[in-house]
Amino acid sequence: MSEGTGLAEAASGRDPAAGLRAVRAMRELTERLELLQVRNAREHGWSWQEIAVFLGVSKQAVHKKYARRDRR
Amino acid sequence: MFERFTQDARVVVVRSQEEARELGHEHIGTEHVVLAMLLHGQGTAAEALTACGVTVEDLRRRAVEGNRTERDPLDPDALASLGIDLDEVRRATDAAFGPGALDQAGARPKTFGHIPFTSSAKKSMELALREAVHRKHKEIRDGHLLLGVIREGQSLGPRMLADAGVDLGMLRDEVLRRMSEAA
Repeated sequence: MSEGTGLAEAASGRDPAAGLRAVRAMRELTERLELLQVRNAREHGWSWQEIAVFLGVSKQAVHKKYARRDRR
Repeated sequence: MFERFTQDARVVVVRSQEEARELGHEHIGTEHVVLAMLLHGQGTAAEALTACGVTVEDLRRRAVEGNRTERDPLDPDALASLGIDLDEVRRATDAAFGPGALDQAGARPKTFGHIPFTSSAKKSMELALREAVHRKHKEIRDGHLLLGVIREGQSLGPRMLADAGVDLGMLRDEVLRRMSEAA
């Protein structure tokens, strides 16, 4: 991550439009990275349980969200 | 209609829904049917497609491109306001997971349960049925499904094959030749 100006200003600032837009952008990026890293973990032989522990969610939640996709 | 499908044809149909879901698309189009044939890897359709030189990777990329909507794009400016350099993130994910990985990860399953077929995909299956009837075949085979896709001709399935350099007339001949050999 680079050191830009206005670090964390937007999402924690007082302008709701900028703030919500920043939150949304982070959420979209997070979702994509989660997908890539879950798949990465599976390719490294991790179990759904191990992945769940690292994500801080239940095994059922991870399985429901990702198990069907993970066929390759 | 599906009771007249061969085992291979049924697998292709099921697989096409899985593929659409996996790519995060909201309808099953002819592009997913074609991908399913290649992924299944067996039967006339898979053989004919492989003989024409197409690969799953290339067609998948085209299917993703063809379905790209701007619903949830990444927002570089908003991320920059948080000190996140999206270019750097992309460089890292490209290096770790392959070029375009971050963009492909944008297509996530947003719907659970049944995904409907597009009207083009339905039409290609009606045309597949007609191909089978025309040849007096009692079952609808995966080969007929591919003939139906080719004949439908307008949707993303046949278009992406053509864009990938496939001569659809030659592909059709490949399918017909293999079907008559198998019969």
